[in-house]
Amino acid sequence: MAQNVRNVSPTEEVTSTRRVIAASSVGTLIEWYDFYIFGSLAKIISEQFFPKDNPTAALLATLATFAAGFVIRPFGALFFGRLGDLIGRKYTFLVTLVIMGGSTFAIGLVPGYKTIGFFAPAIVFILRLLQGLALGGEYGGAATYVAEHSPAGKRGFWTSFIQTTATFGLFLSLGVILIVRQTLGVETFSDWGWRIPFILSAFLVAVSVFIRMRMSESPLFVKMKKEGKTSANPLAESFKEKDNLKMVLIALLGATAGQGVVWYTGQFYALSFLQNACNIEFVQSNLIISIALLLGTPFFILFGSLSDKIGRKYIMMAGMLIAVIAYRPIYTVMYNEANLKNKVEIVEKKEVKVKNTMKGADSLITTITTKAFTDGTTFKETVKAKFPVDPALKAALPKDKLKPETKKEVTLPQNLYYKMIGLVFIQVIFVTMVYGPIAAFLVEIFPTRIRYTSMSLPYHIGNGVFGGLVPLISTRLVEATRPGPGLPPADPLAGLWYPILIAGVSFVIGSLYISNKTNNLDVE
Amino acid sequence: MSAIKRIFGLLWALMGVGIVPLVIKQAMKEIAAKPSEENWIFWSIVIVVLMPIIAFSLITFGVFALKGEYDTLEDIQ
Repeated sequence: MAQNVRNVSPTEEVTSTRRVIAASSVGTLIEWYDFYIFGSLAKIISEQFFPKDNPTAALLATLATFAAGFVIRPFGALFFGRLGDLIGRKYTFLVTLVIMGGSTFAIGLVPGYKTIGFFAPAIVFILRLLQGLALGGEYGGAATYVAEHSPAGKRGFWTSFIQTTATFGLFLSLGVILIVRQTLGVETFSDWGWRIPFILSAFLVAVSVFIRMRMSESPLFVKMKKEGKTSANPLAESFKEKDNLKMVLIALLGATAGQGVVWYTGQFYALSFLQNACNIEFVQSNLIISIALLLGTPFFILFGSLSDKIGRKYIMMAGMLIAVIAYRPIYTVMYNEANLKNKVEIVEKKEVKVKNTMKGADSLITTITTKAFTDGTTFKETVKAKFPVDPALKAALPKDKLKPETKKEVTLPQNLYYKMIGLVFIQVIFVTMVYGPIAAFLVEIFPTRIRYTSMSLPYHIGNGVFGGLVPLISTRLVEATRPGPGLPPADPLAGLWYPILIAGVSFVIGSLYISNKTNNLDVE
Repeated sequence: MSAIKRIFGLLWALMGVGIVPLVIKQAMKEIAAKPSEENWIFWSIVIVVLMPIIAFSLITFGVFALKGEYDTLEDIQ
């Protein structure tokens, strides 16, 4: 190990490693924060930049949401991974940070569709692609950088701090959005307040760049460069040489694909399920996820550390297996606890309020129905019907334009709220089991000269493609069980089959072919 | 253990080969039934992005496993 050849005292080494971890983690955390605020504010962004009545803009909206998530990230992994193996880890992940921060800040400043027309969605689309590209390069750099500074027996522990950043980034983005939304009010937030979380990124990135600038290059990379052992063509060496390609494939199929779907299911699908299938109210559903994430985050470090003692494979495979077995029972309980059909309504508490307001030449009728249930659950349904006052204009409109907008909100009582947190928390534990040790696992199976490139690609295909497709494919699977338009799906849990299948295959491949040994990172 | 790894290798390779016609057939069936923009986008993403990755990785991995490339993985690592 490079640490063994450096002439530093143990205290100095610990302090130095802590600085390395802090500098790397803060930057990666900010990158995740930047990436998630776009996703968390997708609805508002869509309203501001991608109007539904413009089909090209709507198409761009779809592409922007998905392309950056899974198509661009692997390209970022290849592009920046190659740079990282050629010129060094430090400068490469400094560049990714600046690109990510700059793009996020710029999204916060782009004028809306109403102001600059088609340029608005086009600019946002490009900026979102840059975000995806930067994220593709960031993680591999941070994980490699920390791993190459870590002592051999503590690599799982040290890199697990990098692993907490994705969850903390999501937590931070949800927290900032909730605070800004609560402070400004829903209307102001939807109008311009949503820009604040984006603009805030500039400050966060500036701090992180300042910290990272003061860090030194990875000792293993420096040693390798001094000895003239760096790769001349990391891409060709990573993916054309059989010995490396087979490790890339095993990393993808036996680890990152399963990890990606478990990760997305436990964090994003859980939130989407609470909001769409269970109709849990916006703030309450976000709080359920945020609290579960916060409680679960220390387990990344626990499992990362444990992987140093008992091996990476056993923990990751156990996480995948338990997730495969437990998903359907967990989601069945979540669905049943929020299902109003299983509750007894207090009929005398039912209230219906009708409000008729004018919006220009249109009449807007808002009907708010509130219900209370014996277990303390409350339900609010808001139906907004907007139509022209002029009967001739109303008759001329197509039926779908007259269809009222319905919003259902279920607010759970305290005991069920805690139960939901517990159920999501269990899923976060699965996430920590598969994700906690994976950075150490990935850096250890590739040689130093092509590590950044080789580990970044399977990570971002596993997370970005297999994981990033969870919302799209799961929604599709649920829709396929819908007997007809407007009717509830026959199996609201059908969306779980995708993560169950991918994690199941990954478990079998990982269990059969992955070694449980941990390896040194010496320069060959 | 090596024999099991090789037998499963054949399974992965066959899965990789089999997934291509299966996905294309399903896409054609669903698009023909409902040629909406949503359907086109969904199946384009599956066919252009997901399917090639799954097919290529499973076939290559399966062939490697079948040839015994992973038999001595512990030693390689």
